[in-house]
Amino acid sequence: MNNSIKEAYEKAPKTWILQLLVAFVIACLLAWSSSAVEMSNTNGKGLQVAKNIISGIFHPDTKLLFAAGKSGVAYLLLETLCIAFLGTVVGAVISVPLSFLSASNLMPKPIAIIGRFCIAAIRTIPAFIYGLMFIRVTGPGPFAGLLTMSLCSIGMVSKMFIESIENLDKRILESLDAAGCTTFQKIRYGILPQLFADFMSTLIYRFDMNLRDATVLGLVGAGGIGAPLIFAMSSYRWNEVGAILLGLIILVLIVETISSKIRTKLIRGE
Amino acid sequence: MKLYDRIFKPKKYELSNGKAVEERFTRLPLILLLLIVCTVISVHITGFNFEVLGRNGSKFFDILKAMFPPKTSYMPKIWQPLWDTIKMSVLGSFIGAVLAIPAAILASSNIISSKAVLAIQRLFLSLVRTLPTLVCALIATYIFGLGTMAGTFAIAVFTFAYIGKQLFEVIETVDMGPFEAMEALGATKMQAFRSAVFPQVLPTYLSVSLFCLEGNVRYASILGYVGAGGLGLIMNEKIGWREYDSVGMILIVLFITVIAIEGISHVIRKHLS
Amino acid sequence: MILFDHVSKVYPNGTVGLDDVNLKIDDGEFVAIIGLSGAGKSTLLRSVNRMHEITDGTLTVNGTNVSQLQGKSLRKFRRGIGMVFQSFNLVSRTTVIKNVLSARVPELPLWRAILGVFSKQDKITALEALDNVGILDKAYMRADQLSGGQQQRVALARTLAQNPKIILADEPVAALDPVTAKQVMEDFVRINKDMGISILLNIHHVELALKYAQRIIGIRAGKIVYDGPSDKVDKSVLDSIYGENAAREEME
Repeated sequence: MNNSIKEAYEKAPKTWILQLLVAFVIACLLAWSSSAVEMSNTNGKGLQVAKNIISGIFHPDTKLLFAAGKSGVAYLLLETLCIAFLGTVVGAVISVPLSFLSASNLMPKPIAIIGRFCIAAIRTIPAFIYGLMFIRVTGPGPFAGLLTMSLCSIGMVSKMFIESIENLDKRILESLDAAGCTTFQKIRYGILPQLFADFMSTLIYRFDMNLRDATVLGLVGAGGIGAPLIFAMSSYRWNEVGAILLGLIILVLIVETISSKIRTKLIRGE
Repeated sequence: MKLYDRIFKPKKYELSNGKAVEERFTRLPLILLLLIVCTVISVHITGFNFEVLGRNGSKFFDILKAMFPPKTSYMPKIWQPLWDTIKMSVLGSFIGAVLAIPAAILASSNIISSKAVLAIQRLFLSLVRTLPTLVCALIATYIFGLGTMAGTFAIAVFTFAYIGKQLFEVIETVDMGPFEAMEALGATKMQAFRSAVFPQVLPTYLSVSLFCLEGNVRYASILGYVGAGGLGLIMNEKIGWREYDSVGMILIVLFITVIAIEGISHVIRKHLS
Repeated sequence: MILFDHVSKVYPNGTVGLDDVNLKIDDGEFVAIIGLSGAGKSTLLRSVNRMHEITDGTLTVNGTNVSQLQGKSLRKFRRGIGMVFQSFNLVSRTTVIKNVLSARVPELPLWRAILGVFSKQDKITALEALDNVGILDKAYMRADQLSGGQQQRVALARTLAQNPKIILADEPVAALDPVTAKQVMEDFVRINKDMGISILLNIHHVELALKYAQRIIGIRAGKIVYDGPSDKVDKSVLDSIYGENAAREEME
């Protein structure tokens, strides 16, 4: 072999050691966590149950699906929509000041860190605990649900808000400065128009997620479609489960299509 | 929108040199009206009430106060469920992430030319995505029985759907030049994908997977509530017994765990990009 | 009229930005400042509307001593001077006309400024400014839908809507391709001729500077090394501005 080629060959970075190491670590992690797969609780009925569930879901209870009135799927979906909508709005109202406080390009570092710590703490508490807390305030029902949704939205919404704030294009402020604008005018015409599109897009996305996550509220009786769904499941009425799921899935798909259209328009223009 | 423009006539501005410009009537009133209507309906249906909030607002902190000081002596009993939660998330994320690869490839219009396959695959992905994770976990507990297996299953399904969607969007925006070059060399589609597309999407794929893992640790704690094992299970139990100081301890452990995992994953993700 | 009288600028870290600059620019002139990057082109330009402070000497613009301005009087002074930037500095996610209207903001009463409601007169001013740079038909499109050249024209229209007497342009065509750059330079020439606005721009394309500007100011290490009509610029002048080798490359 030519000497220089040999040299180049030997100089090639020895990534395989690193790769092997990474593979080894991953393999260890997987081996360790594979003990989560305990089949001890599984009994022979599992398959039978699965079959029942699938057949139930594909034969939804049409009576429930099209029923009018407060126990019908339509009303429950409307209630869920309302919880998700107001929850997003209230969450946004709380997130805006929180994210301005936590933006490291606007605030001194200690304040920003405290802000981020608060957001992380708010995120940690699971939805059903918030649900329980709010039920003490408002009693069971959708009111507690929307408040829960709003707190659950804060984590992700402020994270995205902070990102938008930290990515602000400051050069616009320079040109407004050169045109003789005051600080207030610079914020109103240089910063707000930039943030508005991003913020709206984040909120619409979160609304989508809230709609999907709203079933969790049913666990603690905080309104929405979750409670009847979980109730139907725990009493093995799979046709009802099918009806509710069908309604929910269709609603989520419709909302998702509309919202992704609006978001593209907000971010990329027409 | 055409109707809207007919009702609210566009404004005309005449310039001094005789040119005229039409300005469509602003959409703002329409959007505001829609938002207000939605808000009013939502307030009505959910029973939102500031008065109640003001009167009983302080009760929100009742449980929170009862959590402090957290019961540190409960700590030894938290370890096992904590490991369960982490195991569930790691294994579930891994399985979901691996299964997402073929699913995403089948949904990418630049790799698969059959419109039918694409449509079916995408519909499948969005259907799985809309299925609430909680429902998935509940169904899993009926099939696999109570325990971590059900949680792992639910997390795998959720991860699969999330990464599947993200991944096929990334694959579709990839530079197809190298892929075509490989095909021109006589490679099969799979070989070409492996050596031309895969390296391009790999960093994003790993980054999204790690991001998913972070979220899953958090989510795994909720899943326990319906019997899918882990921290949620003991949280549910302690809430039932109203031992809120123990719940406080669990939450602190969860908080630290989540921060630690986010920290590690953040470092790795930074390394990747 | 812009008058530099023994103006110097030393940055806090000791770098000399401007070194004893004496200049007189009359109303209606079209002046291009050329020089190597870091020679002080930008400092010279930006000291005119006090985006940069000078440390020594006096700078007078239309009879106002720039260094003495503060707060409100500075903002009022800046309204009379338009400024265009290399990176356009538009709010990309709003419409073109809203970007242009932002130049009218300093004149607005508070309630209009808060709500963003502009008078018909302001809108017509903005539209005429857009017409002036030939993109009237783009008025209601979002700024990020336009090409680079069109975006720079929006920025130009924004400064025109200020009704300035002077326009400062900081590398206005550096981010544009050659053909668009020429078109934007022609816009500057037309504005200079038709509206009698003084144009002061810095530019690193010598060829464009010589073609469109009446007067060239060459600057090197903070010192003015050439000040005269563009048709008198020859190889020896460029050598003095850019150093020998660089100038030869530029000429070829």
